[in-house]
Amino acid sequence: MGRLLQLLLRNGGFVTLVFVELFCFMLIVRYNTSQAVIWANTTDIFGGRFMERRQRVSDYFYLQERADSLATVVDSLQERLAWARYVQVPVRDTFYRVTYDSITGTDSLRRKYLRPLYEYVSARVIENSVTSVNNWLLLNRGKSDRIEPHTAVVTPNGIVGIVRHVSDNFSIVMSVLHSQTQITASVEGTGAFGSLEWDGNSPEVMLLRNISKHFKEKIVPGARVVTSGYSLMFPKGIPVGTVVAPPAEDGENPHFLVVKVRLGQSVSDVTDVSVVRNLFSPEIDSLKSKIKR
Amino acid sequence: MNSSLFPNVWRFLGLILGQGLLLKQAVQAVGSAYFNVILYPMFILLLPVQLAAPYLVLLGFAVGISVDMFYQTPGVHASAGAFAGFIRGLVFAAFAPKGGFNAKDPIFAPHYVSWQTFLSVSGVFFFLHLFWYYSVEAFTFVYFASIVLKTLSSWSITMIFVILYAALFNPKQ
Repeated sequence: MGRLLQLLLRNGGFVTLVFVELFCFMLIVRYNTSQAVIWANTTDIFGGRFMERRQRVSDYFYLQERADSLATVVDSLQERLAWARYVQVPVRDTFYRVTYDSITGTDSLRRKYLRPLYEYVSARVIENSVTSVNNWLLLNRGKSDRIEPHTAVVTPNGIVGIVRHVSDNFSIVMSVLHSQTQITASVEGTGAFGSLEWDGNSPEVMLLRNISKHFKEKIVPGARVVTSGYSLMFPKGIPVGTVVAPPAEDGENPHFLVVKVRLGQSVSDVTDVSVVRNLFSPEIDSLKSKIKR
Repeated sequence: MNSSLFPNVWRFLGLILGQGLLLKQAVQAVGSAYFNVILYPMFILLLPVQLAAPYLVLLGFAVGISVDMFYQTPGVHASAGAFAGFIRGLVFAAFAPKGGFNAKDPIFAPHYVSWQTFLSVSGVFFFLHLFWYYSVEAFTFVYFASIVLKTLSSWSITMIFVILYAALFNPKQ
């Protein structure tokens, strides 16, 4: 400290000069137009470069997070691929049996047999609400992106809702946080399934209703809840959430059990979603219409 | 110190007014970017030789900012003045004879040192001051060639006025 003071005293002129020049610099930039313009441009150039470099550094620190999120995406893509292959129909002829890969299946013969059941369209949520009894979302994809009403909206972590109305470029999604939501879901590994509903309370928790009473012992907190597949909209096995409390008797319907499910995908902060389109839903609908009355 | 106070105060006022009222008008009448006379650093040059560097810097700033009031360029002359105050010590050290000027001469003037020494020291001193001034005025070294040109042309004209000043007033303290 003493040495530093000595240094300051010996170079008093220089130290004074530095301070005075800094003050002058401030005056010049503040009160002189041409110099102020030059200064502003210079700081813009260097500020821009600096910000860019800083961004690069901070990007580096978020690499782990980005890698994680990319891994999740890869996982979900693989899951979808597996599911797409699952519905492939083996091509059989008199000599041998071949299963074509639906990714390479391009000619008409193959396409006829190799058919994925679902198509995924990625979309971004541009409007969202979770506070009312009936909540809606707005997506930035619509008819021109092959989105139709009555298609499911999911993320790799869970389900988000069902498309109800579409315009050319946008679509309105009935959030799962809606009083009319009824989605069939099952508790993984037990075979228990019920109807997923929202009681309008916590936006994180939904109720799985109408579960048969004999599943009471089998359902434990922490068990995964997935879509059951008994629906044209949601493919089988899409994650929904986890059981948070042991099953209880349903107050509204005492012959059945009700389970609280914490959603895997929080609707309040969802941004990137996939719209799941069942490629055969028109065909299945018209087929089903034959048994109606 | 006390005896040298009033001559310096008069010099301060006289050079500021001379610079801001007379020389500025004369230069504007000529109207060329390469014709300029900056005489006020004479005040810094003629401050007592014994004065410590921080005071020189502060007084240089003071005379500069006063001139800035006339030129409506706040900070530009002040910056050059402070720089001149700092550089004076270095120029003196470079040109001083073995014993230094310090002991017997109260101020650095032709009355005490030879005309030759006075002209070399003031030449370097005014050149550095003008170079700093034009650099700050341009505020970028993109126009380095023009800065050097302006410095050289204004320096040659200014030096005539420096000689005139020293010969006419022949300052002794």
